[in-house]
Amino acid sequence: MANQGGAQRPNGPQSKICQFKLVLLGESAVGKSSLVLRFVKGQFHEYQESTIGAAFLTQTVCLDDTTVKFEIWDTAGQERYHSLAPMYYRGAQAAIVVYDITNQDTFGRAKTWVRELQRQASPNIVIALAGNKADLANKRMVEYEEAQAYAEENSLLFMETSAKTAMNVNDIFLAIAKKLPKNEQAGQQQSRQRGVDLSQENQPSGGCCK
Amino acid sequence: MESSRDNHIKLQMRERESDYTNLQPYRIFCGTWNVNGQQASEAINEWLCPAEDSEPPDIYAIGFQELDLSKNAYIFSESVREEDWYKRIKEALHPKAKYKKVVKLVRLVGMMLVVFIRKGLELEIYDVMSGTVGTGIMGVMGNKGGVAVRFGLRDSTLCFVNSHLAAHTVEFERPHTDFKDINSRMLFGNRTISDHELVPCFFFFFSSENSLLFCSIVIWLGDLNYRLSDIDNDACKKLISDGRLQELMKYDQLVRQISQKNVFLDYLEGKISFIPTYKYDPGTDTWDTSEKCRTPAWCDRILWRGSNVGQLCYRSHMACKLSDHKPVSSIFESGIKVIDRAKQRQVYEDVMKQLDKWENEFLPQVEVSTMEIKFKDIKFIEQKKEILVVSNTGQVPVQFEFIPKPSDTNFCEPWLSVEPSKAVISVGAKCEVHLSVYVNKDTGPSLNSGKARIEDILVLHLDGGKDLFITVSGNYIPSSFSSSIETLVRMFKPVTDVETGSLIEIVSASTSLQHLILTIDQASSPNPSEDPPLDIPKEIWRLVDHLYKYGMEQDELFRQPGLHSEIQLIRDCLDQGKPRLLPGSVHSVAEALLLFLEVLPEPVVPYEHYDLCLHVCDNFTQAKQVLQRLPTSHRNVFKYICAFLRELLKHSASNFLDARFLGELHLNGHQSSRTAHQTRADHRSSLLCDAF
Ligand SMILES: Nc1nc2c(ncn2[C@@H]2O[C@H](COP(=O)(O)OP(=O)(O)OP(=O)(O)O)[C@@H](O)[C@H]2O)c(=O)[nH]1
Ligand SMILES: [Mg+2]
Repeated sequence: MANQGGAQRPNGPQSKICQFKLVLLGESAVGKSSLVLRFVKGQFHEYQESTIGAAFLTQTVCLDDTTVKFEIWDTAGQERYHSLAPMYYRGAQAAIVVYDITNQDTFGRAKTWVRELQRQASPNIVIALAGNKADLANKRMVEYEEAQAYAEENSLLFMETSAKTAMNVNDIFLAIAKKLPKNEQAGQQQSRQRGVDLSQENQPSGGCCK
Repeated sequence: MESSRDNHIKLQMRERESDYTNLQPYRIFCGTWNVNGQQASEAINEWLCPAEDSEPPDIYAIGFQELDLSKNAYIFSESVREEDWYKRIKEALHPKAKYKKVVKLVRLVGMMLVVFIRKGLELEIYDVMSGTVGTGIMGVMGNKGGVAVRFGLRDSTLCFVNSHLAAHTVEFERPHTDFKDINSRMLFGNRTISDHELVPCFFFFFSSENSLLFCSIVIWLGDLNYRLSDIDNDACKKLISDGRLQELMKYDQLVRQISQKNVFLDYLEGKISFIPTYKYDPGTDTWDTSEKCRTPAWCDRILWRGSNVGQLCYRSHMACKLSDHKPVSSIFESGIKVIDRAKQRQVYEDVMKQLDKWENEFLPQVEVSTMEIKFKDIKFIEQKKEILVVSNTGQVPVQFEFIPKPSDTNFCEPWLSVEPSKAVISVGAKCEVHLSVYVNKDTGPSLNSGKARIEDILVLHLDGGKDLFITVSGNYIPSSFSSSIETLVRMFKPVTDVETGSLIEIVSASTSLQHLILTIDQASSPNPSEDPPLDIPKEIWRLVDHLYKYGMEQDELFRQPGLHSEIQLIRDCLDQGKPRLLPGSVHSVAEALLLFLEVLPEPVVPYEHYDLCLHVCDNFTQAKQVLQRLPTSHRNVFKYICAFLRELLKHSASNFLDARFLGELHLNGHQSSRTAHQTRADHRSSLLCDAF
């Protein structure tokens, strides 16, 4: 029958929701949990307990055309839990590797994490490097340019952040959300489980749009 | 789960619609006329654009019934009247504005609906669909039924229904059936019909997958054919001529049915201040004078459903006389939704934020009594227990499970057991998890040698939530049990007196030496700088010596089991070197000896010689040769045990042992895993025993 008329049906902003698994890695006390706390709840704790396990939270980021829902795994940075990290970066579509700009060792450790991710994680994983505690500029030990050059070499997103002042915290997650592929095909590969996947070695990376 | 989340988002967005939606007034003209099959012979400006309507409407929705009563209209669904009326309508639209058709027209037999929109506004409409439902003859024919047009305008959805319901003066149930029929069968559009697109227009509907919008406004017009009940013709006409219309209205079937909520639920109708529009002698304003002499009725009605709809007028048009019905019209001013995209986005982000907050709040949460479990002084074959209390501190039931670490198949080390390994805890409840450590012959050797330690991390996974790492640790007290013969012969002090560091040294020395001994000549002396090793481990000597002194005459020796607690005391005594006399009964000592041999990491006859031994066990000379190839300390132990067994056999009168049983014992002692060879093995053992 008839079907005419000039205008398009208006779209809501909520037309497409994509779901991604994101993991935070980095040495203990660099501020992984603090970044997540800032991003998810807008809070900062001067005394933040060291993570013994892997914390799980979700947070949504609204882009122009899509909505990205992050399933965030905040891992334990203490070295003795290192061997457990693959449980969390396996199948992740995004990772934030965090170091503390006031501590050169943590930057070295971050590089090791990046290398491990490049070798062991999904080949398409989007990696962001976060130089945290940027508010402590007077104690700086890692130069911005050095980290930036490293990030560029390895095609990482890079930002200096501060969980304390909130500087660049939303921005780094937003930048990741933008960089993640949101094609339809990726959506179909999505397995809806959010927990730890024990069965698969390297899941095909890709978004989880529906 | 996900779709309920989507639904929640939709619901929230709808609930907060007013936060981001502005209403823009649109003037809608609706008209209905049952033309009784008459030709379009008179102008209809009086109906569509009466003099008092100074402002031009934005939308016209005009419905006809009985447009064409000819057979052609029924059977071939074509009508010559259609074009004529269409032309008349176009001529009669408000002169102060220009109009464009939304759909040219929708017609089912005599029912026709035309919708016009003011020029310029047609750019704001989308998703125009139309549909028809026949409820006439046999329930499907189009002499009765409805036609409808729906379309999106800005962010609202409008729907117009023109219906001609079945008439019957007495059985006024009938129009209701029609109403329900149209309601459930009205389909729109030219799309494939799937369940969710089977959209009954009179209720809200989601017409398309990406829209949140209800069909915001429905206007239902037509010859609904409701009559006046319980009043006779004269009384009726009297009330009319007296102008007592509200009184007469009480007899109106539709009013009654609506008030009883039988029909047109959620629909509204404006106050009727015009006299009944049916039935007149055509061409006049005279009530029906035909044979039937119908009682007047308000057959022709206009109702609406939806918010932000205001009725400006509701009237009939007496000037149009060619039919036995008078036309009716109504003008609405309705608020059409216009969404502020920026505000909508803000609200959406808010909704998502709130949802995130809830989701995070409703994640499973637990507290554990401790993140580190320490076991103190773990001994060989002695169970130690600790309890981990897991409390559900969240707002949802928790299912937890201990899960394996990467590249592991079990979630914990073999010396640890955890019970339960998975469970569900209801909100506020606790679960006790029992952890126990038990070191046996499988795990003892590497713990003794320091290659392994009591150290493990348990991954406590909450279904749909986080993981907790529970560290398990403890100190293992090395024991002579489960230590290798090579190590023991180089240990001159009791095990517990040896410092852990030097213990590992001894172990590694013994393994490398053992290697030397095995590859070079066994006779050659090992490292001359070291003390010469003992002939046999002192622990074996002590056990055998004890039995030799106190057990030779013991009835049922080796047949009767010992006590586990006594065996643990014997273990301590051997490891600590005191007291001098082994505690417990001879049965316990006998079992301790068997256990000692059983848990040797490398059996008395080492694995690599085992097959050869079996092979030659029937041949005494060859057996003797093979024996020569065993490492010295192993050969010594073998000879020593055999000598002891021979001694035992001498006392068989009192201990009732025979060679076969002892042979079995001896062999089982350190080869239990290879039972397939048992028969031949024990044969060989007896032979060997006989040999010495
Ligand atoms: N000044 C400053 N302090 C920070 C910042 N981020 C985190 N901290 C502090 O650094 C400490 C460690 O932060 P966490 O967030 O616990 O570090 P983590 O990386 O999660 O550590 P683990 O859980 O042990 O791996 C806490 O005392 C925080 O308050 C920051 O941006 N600026
Ligand atoms: Mg942390």
